[in-house]
Amino acid sequence: MSNYIVLVKQVPDVTQITDNAFDPETGTLIRTRLASVINELDAQALAFANQMKRDSDDKNGEVICLTMGPPMAEEVLRYGLARCADRVVLLTDRALGGADTVATANPLAFAIRKIVKEIFKNNSDYYVVCGMQSVDGDTAQVPPQITEELGLACIAYVTGAEFRNGRFEFTRIISGGSQVVAAKELPAVITVAKFEYPLFATFVATRRANKAEIIRWASDDIKATHIGVKGSKTSVIRVFPPGKSTRKCRQVTDAKSLAELLVESFKSGNGGTDDTPQAQAARYTLPGRRAENFDRSFEATKKEIEDYKILADTVKKLGISKVSRIDDAVKEKILAAAGEHFHKRALEDMLNGLQLTEPGFSGEVWVVAEHGGGAVHPATFELIGKARELADSLETKVGVCLAGFNAEPMAKDLIAAGADGIYIIDDKLLGEFDPTAHRKAVADAISTYWPQIVLYAATPQGRMLAPMVSYRVGCGLTADCTGLDIRDSSRRGQIAILLQTRPALGGNVMATICTKNSKSQMATARPGVMKKLPPDNSRKGKIIKHKVRLCEADTGLEIIKTELGTGDVNFNAEVIISGGKGMQNRDNYERLVGLLCEGLSKKLDTQVEKGASRAAVEQGFAERAHQVGQTGTSVAPKLYIALGISGAIQHMIGVANTETIIAVNSDPNAPILKQCDYYIVGSVEDTVPQLVAALTTEN
Amino acid sequence: MGSDCNRVSVLIVGAGPAGLATAIQLKTIRPQIDVCVIEKSSDLGNHNLSGAVLEAEPLHTLLDSAVPDWRDSDAAKDVLAKKVSKDNVMFFLGRKLSFNIFVVIKLAKMFGLGFGQMMHVGDYSVSISKLTKWMGQLAKDLGAEVLTGFAVEDIILDESANMATAVKLVDQGLDKEGNKQPNFVEGEIINADFVVLAEGCDGLLTERFVEKANLQRQSPPLYSVGVKELIKVTSEQYEKFGDGRVVHAMGYPIWTPVIGPGMFGGGIIYPGEKDHIAVGMIVGADWKYCDFNPQDALTNFKNHSFVKKFIDGGTVVEAGAKMIPEGGYYAIPRNPATSSIGKGNVMILGDSAGFVNMLKIKGLHNAIDSGIQAAKAIAETFDRPEQAASKYTNLIEQSNVAREMTSAMNFRQTIAKFGPLQGMPLSVFGGLLPKFKVENDHEAMTTARYRYKKNHEFDKDTFTAMAATEHREEQLSHLTILDPDICKTRCTPAFKSPCITFCPAGVYETVHEEVKPANPSNCLHCKTCQRKCPFDNIRWTAPEGTGGPHYRRM
Repeated sequence: MSNYIVLVKQVPDVTQITDNAFDPETGTLIRTRLASVINELDAQALAFANQMKRDSDDKNGEVICLTMGPPMAEEVLRYGLARCADRVVLLTDRALGGADTVATANPLAFAIRKIVKEIFKNNSDYYVVCGMQSVDGDTAQVPPQITEELGLACIAYVTGAEFRNGRFEFTRIISGGSQVVAAKELPAVITVAKFEYPLFATFVATRRANKAEIIRWASDDIKATHIGVKGSKTSVIRVFPPGKSTRKCRQVTDAKSLAELLVESFKSGNGGTDDTPQAQAARYTLPGRRAENFDRSFEATKKEIEDYKILADTVKKLGISKVSRIDDAVKEKILAAAGEHFHKRALEDMLNGLQLTEPGFSGEVWVVAEHGGGAVHPATFELIGKARELADSLETKVGVCLAGFNAEPMAKDLIAAGADGIYIIDDKLLGEFDPTAHRKAVADAISTYWPQIVLYAATPQGRMLAPMVSYRVGCGLTADCTGLDIRDSSRRGQIAILLQTRPALGGNVMATICTKNSKSQMATARPGVMKKLPPDNSRKGKIIKHKVRLCEADTGLEIIKTELGTGDVNFNAEVIISGGKGMQNRDNYERLVGLLCEGLSKKLDTQVEKGASRAAVEQGFAERAHQVGQTGTSVAPKLYIALGISGAIQHMIGVANTETIIAVNSDPNAPILKQCDYYIVGSVEDTVPQLVAALTTEN
Repeated sequence: MGSDCNRVSVLIVGAGPAGLATAIQLKTIRPQIDVCVIEKSSDLGNHNLSGAVLEAEPLHTLLDSAVPDWRDSDAAKDVLAKKVSKDNVMFFLGRKLSFNIFVVIKLAKMFGLGFGQMMHVGDYSVSISKLTKWMGQLAKDLGAEVLTGFAVEDIILDESANMATAVKLVDQGLDKEGNKQPNFVEGEIINADFVVLAEGCDGLLTERFVEKANLQRQSPPLYSVGVKELIKVTSEQYEKFGDGRVVHAMGYPIWTPVIGPGMFGGGIIYPGEKDHIAVGMIVGADWKYCDFNPQDALTNFKNHSFVKKFIDGGTVVEAGAKMIPEGGYYAIPRNPATSSIGKGNVMILGDSAGFVNMLKIKGLHNAIDSGIQAAKAIAETFDRPEQAASKYTNLIEQSNVAREMTSAMNFRQTIAKFGPLQGMPLSVFGGLLPKFKVENDHEAMTTARYRYKKNHEFDKDTFTAMAATEHREEQLSHLTILDPDICKTRCTPAFKSPCITFCPAGVYETVHEEVKPANPSNCLHCKTCQRKCPFDNIRWTAPEGTGGPHYRRM
């Protein structure tokens, strides 16, 4: 008999955003104007737990739903009760509000401990089951951090479970393939990436649910160690609407014009993305290096830059050239001259900030390398490119942490890509990616050398490893960054901190986040967003061997089978044609994508590769190796054609660097139409044959 | 509650104004009675669409007794924010000309003629979605159970067929071929002492009950199809229109004297929430043009110079379609033996009964009123459920609902019979006229073409998307073509499959030379297809609960 604790979260419904949900002034999405629903993946996780219970023919196991949130979050618990939950626990307290992922995972883990102790009577035969990520935060950090706090094994991105010989074997997604694993021992944490059959509410259970008692715990009941704003290790400093897409978003009404545009875009190579870079900001320079004493042009916000400029002008007029000359009398003078702009307190803070020239963090800038099959993941090279830029600004070195078995041959490529030092942790137990072993190794290296910045790729592996490592070493972590910049926040006494910018709420808002209460600033960055440097084989770098003592007990998973996609997928092709759920079935996918591939490769005389959205892969239309997107492969072809793909943010991230994106979709509201260059609203079945006909008859 | 969870005293099917009024009234006068309202939409108000101009009296009566301080609530202030102060009745001739004919209505009222009732000053212009949401909350606050996401597909009668014992919910978790998926849940049986049918127009259960319990209508039910869009406009346009104004327009593009087309109905322009204007087109479903679609009429209407100035450059933010029961007095389903509206412990309310006053073109107030009467009937017959329908009918006969229905008795039938040109003046004689024999809406179809068809293309995809309709894709189609041969051999050759054109959501398509409900997940639950298919060859049933449109401001 196993028990199940299913973590559920109430989220705003980002699939139904009405026009009045945006602030007319700032253009920002107002969360409270959206309806609240259960996070879709959590609903799937609940059904998954129920299915596990059924498959193992387990009559006695209990399913408990746990959530943390405001009192109204009890709605998602009633959702659970109306389906299959036996009991529910609501963790609610003002003191828990304003939490980041650390201050969310920590109290949840303490609540799990309490459930195990008081409800399961210390029976350790249980699974914690949760959705892989939530649609609002999209970080996928909480489950691994809970795992870390509880010291359990974690099986992430699970798509199926099979009960065999008295235990579960789980199928999960890994970069470029899938893997069958089992937990060596229970308890274990499962994060569900996809389960097709969410449960229906029944009338009888719903009536019971509406009258059922909910177990309510406050902060004092669980005695967690990191809660609320105080226990958080990151803070949001700015929220703003995402920049307008630079894609053309032009609707085409007939296949013939689309065929012409296809050929034209391919030949001209002049893609949809605007080539003028968005006001390329000057490279950050440390305050001590700046020509002017009062130069504060690298503040975190525009307003602060302007304020400091006014201050500098005022000071100049008063004939003061050195910060150290400012005493109380001078302050009064400045206030008199620029009093209309500043309050006294604010001015004092600004002046104090001016005295600061030393960065708040010290150490190298690190990248945690991802690799498989003896080759470095392309995202790692992109991160090294970014790390190089950051390190140059900060006048420090780029280090790469490379954990694996016989991984040293890869060091040369990493150095060529821009690294100064390679920290190698070599151990047989690190041969395959096991989060438990890897997080121990990487965390050990980090807490030995304390780099000031650590970057991970936001791949399935990185999104798993980073939260565990950061939690283990007690540092904040920001997920899926699309922008990383060094800036000052002088008034708050922070010099040369890392600003981490990322999309949230399904890409409807952008948030800039900084790290606090941490020795190191950590972030995962989206593959395909940062630019790698051209490899320079003449670069010299150091190899540092770091020893970490690992034993069998440090691996949490038993890997039963790994299936990497067949090697014949070439995502470096100039044209990629992907099919999504809109293809309806495998026959359609093969026929239509095949037809267009053939037509285009003849017409353009180039290689055309087939891709698929995650939904299409889950539906069995295509093999996992063809999956494009965040959990698949990021691609950057000249031409990307999306057939029947809605354009979920996870997919669009994976094609961001494409020159021209073309979409065919029957839903005029599909998000992809706002993120592509040309589109036809129409069914794939009608459009593709027309398009192929137009391509073959032209000229 | 234990094992009794599948039994309730009073089961109300449909959380619209009628059903919720029943719940509110009943909980007010008999708080101890257990009342359960079930609704197929995923959230309150999501399947409610109307103009809507609300004659406030019945709602005021209901709320004054239920929640005396209701006027102070934020919800009341939001839902009832707009009182009608300016009433325009327009006549459009062609694409540019418009005449205000309100004076005709005024004169009619002076002379006590039927259509003098078509005045709206003092009423509220409301969003029925919001109204429903609010009423649902009030019902819950009073202790009624209001459960959304549960679709009912059948009503179960006892052996005598005089009483209903239970209803059956829709099976959930079947795939397209009808195979059980791992999450399959068989439709539950819910036992009840009283069943209140308040499903809205052309209710699935209502019609099943009419058939099973052998209720009769004196005249076939007639319908109109309404399509509506909520448009975000500029503040200037909104102010120019005015938030206290309602416009009703007759004539172009559905009726032009002599040259045609000749359809019954008209356009509406109502103010929505700030900087939003609602436009709609309501067309009698007895139209005879096989290539006609009310959305084409709406597009023409929107491009009429009178309308265009208020909405030009605006964006459609919500859209939807729904039928209106227009058969009036003679089309109310009754027990032939006792004339009761319903039978035994089953009562039929609001639009399901057809309580729309065609002279006022309003039914919302009657729906609420009928809800109040049903509650009173249940309270009085609580120990003898078999008498509920009779008691309910008595109360209705004494209420304003019956007065209005009688006064509008023949209006719509006169027009159906004689067409708008002769029918409208004839209808002045209202109740004096004998009952006409009229045909069912679907029998009206001819091979004639709609004159203004080519003026504008209508984008159904966007319309459907703006209705935010959603169904689980992998389920049995809830739309059935009874005999595909009829489509192939009779309908397509003669009329070119009108369902493909008139379905507002583009559900029907020709796939491999066969007309099919190819996109059931687009369905807006308006049921026009089952009433307008020229060969009465389509049946609509309820899909899995929570499926359907998501109206929020309709």
